[in-house]
Amino acid sequence: MEIFAIFISAIFVNNIVLAQYLGNCPYLGCSKEKSVALGMGGAVIFVIIVSTCCTWLMQRYVLDPYNLGYLQTIVFIVVIAALVQFVEMFLKKAVPPLYAALGIFLPLITTNCAVMGVAILVQREGFGLLESMLWGVAYGLGFTLALLLMAGIRERLDTCRLPKCMAGTPIALVMAGLMSLAFMGFKGMGQ
Amino acid sequence: MTVMREFTKGLWKELPPFRLVLGLCPTLAVTNSADNGLGMGLAVIFVLTLSNMLISMVRSIIPKKVRIACFIVIAASLVVAVELLMQAYAYPLYQQLGIFVPLIVVNCIILGRAEAFAAKNGVAASVADGLGMGLGFTLSLTFLGSLREIWGNGTWFGHAVMWEGFEPLRIMVQAPGAFICLGLILAGMNLINVWQARRKGRDPQPLTQGCGACQACHMNHEA
Amino acid sequence: MVFVSILTLFALGLAASIVLAVASRVFHVKEDPRVEAVLEALPGANCGGCGFAGCEGYATAVVNDPSVPANKCCAGGAAVSIAVGELTGKTVAEAEPLYALRRCDKLAGKVAPRYQYQGMPSCAAAALMRGGTDVCVYSCLGFGDCVQACPFGAMEVRDGLARVDRGKCTGCGACVAACPRGILELTPQRGRVAVYCNTRDKLRAVMDVCDVGCIKCGKCVKTCPARAVRLEENRIVIDQLQCLSYGPSCGEVCVSGCPRHILRSTRKSDAPVEDAATPPAPAGGESSRPQSRA
Repeated sequence: MEIFAIFISAIFVNNIVLAQYLGNCPYLGCSKEKSVALGMGGAVIFVIIVSTCCTWLMQRYVLDPYNLGYLQTIVFIVVIAALVQFVEMFLKKAVPPLYAALGIFLPLITTNCAVMGVAILVQREGFGLLESMLWGVAYGLGFTLALLLMAGIRERLDTCRLPKCMAGTPIALVMAGLMSLAFMGFKGMGQ
Repeated sequence: MTVMREFTKGLWKELPPFRLVLGLCPTLAVTNSADNGLGMGLAVIFVLTLSNMLISMVRSIIPKKVRIACFIVIAASLVVAVELLMQAYAYPLYQQLGIFVPLIVVNCIILGRAEAFAAKNGVAASVADGLGMGLGFTLSLTFLGSLREIWGNGTWFGHAVMWEGFEPLRIMVQAPGAFICLGLILAGMNLINVWQARRKGRDPQPLTQGCGACQACHMNHEA
Repeated sequence: MVFVSILTLFALGLAASIVLAVASRVFHVKEDPRVEAVLEALPGANCGGCGFAGCEGYATAVVNDPSVPANKCCAGGAAVSIAVGELTGKTVAEAEPLYALRRCDKLAGKVAPRYQYQGMPSCAAAALMRGGTDVCVYSCLGFGDCVQACPFGAMEVRDGLARVDRGKCTGCGACVAACPRGILELTPQRGRVAVYCNTRDKLRAVMDVCDVGCIKCGKCVKTCPARAVRLEENRIVIDQLQCLSYGPSCGEVCVSGCPRHILRSTRKSDAPVEDAATPPAPAGGESSRPQSRA
């Protein structure tokens, strides 16, 4: 039951893009085609799981015992950056099909604030390891959902006549606003 | 003279969030009031100027292959410094901005400017570039924050500015308002751009749109 | 305190770098370094003009397959071809730089709309509706499918007619594939004469719909001393290479002889980068015509 609540909360109520404002750059940049959106979403889910796990362990076994909480930011970003590189190399060697599908998105993820944001968020909420990873998966799914919906809308939007100044990013942002408005409807489910 | 140009380009010609569509997450997230926008902007000025300065100082001794990692570590150290400073002197603001203070490190402006400018230019020019870009970012955030605060709350920097009986549009200070406001501002920038170009009799240059403007991804590919 | 944080960061950095160094050794995938070098030399636009799936596809092919020539990248032009040729050890026959020529000038021809089109604003969709929105079934529809397809921002639709910015056009052919009417044609940049009509109709059928449509009088075919102009499936086709190799001594008789002003010298339009084929449309002429797209 609790797992269910986590997923509902992270995907709909606190959707990482539409309610928490994280990961907006890929949200706008990689939402032009559905296939690209899926690839990016998959890569983000994958990296969020691994990085949440690693940063959680770092926090618990290195930062907390030595009172180094203030180093959180720098430690997390270094861990995530190294991890993404490592995962890329690992996938290339071990799982080439997966690398072919997600590979080109992996380098984009180091500077994706969704990954770093989730790592910090679960620390601030004080979740346990398993719970953190569950939240990570759920947030990643929420990101993928938002990306996929947006890609679907933008594929249709491409065939519309827009005022020239609205074409591209502006209309995408307005669409995101409307989607976020729709997602606000889920807020009532939180209670 | 060139230093002056590097400084001023960040104020209009390459205004970070509105012209180069960079650093959207903080732009959207913290602009529910003018205060927060200003605070976030100041933090970014600090980090951006110093990171530009440090990177342009050490640019010749960093091996090309690990430069991105070095840039990230430099930016992260500065962000930690900002975090500590804010905790000491501006704790309410620190709490308001929340998770977005540590997230300055993944703001594409920082890495983007480091790679695109500081790694290629001298210290003075880099500092000017950082200051200009940072100031442009601050002004944009404050502008967006003011807009949203005035419409959504009827206040500006916490002071009531709207008339008696003004019904605030709550949506403006929430997530949808952020997206829609920014979208409309970008559209406005496009309009101004086209109009300016037409007045000068040139072909309207399309704005660098979206993700493409931020070179952060591209950089990682090379790294 | 200071010491501990310095130590922690140092240890973290060291650990991360060791892990990555080991990983890069352990997970090393044998990759031809030339592929990467070629990829770096390519412009990275992934336009597909070379006929491979993106720049990476071409880089892999040109390195591994000796039959793939080094001059396939039209977006990068001669400089890239030479670089790729050096990297792969292939001799470069210089690729003729091409651009997309729009074989239609319906504004000058005053082609009238056939009906009020209210559907999806795409050439492909409009072309399916009773042969398109214009009375000429070979005309440019002007809904900008080519604009969407162009990866270099070289296409633009103005006054319902697609324009090619020759300065930006790399000749990748993405627009040619996107145009449902087959109006765009890849033409050598240095070609002297361009054809501005694509119709396959004859005489009256053309005269009725367009002031500058080709009526197949055959004058150009007959007068060309280089025999570079042909009628193929009722369209004028110029063998540009033959035309160029003959040289300008013919005085471009095809241009001066064409009664419909379809063949035009590109010489005059050489200077402006923008597609200068169309004389500026009279201000009143365009607005008097009902706009087919709302």
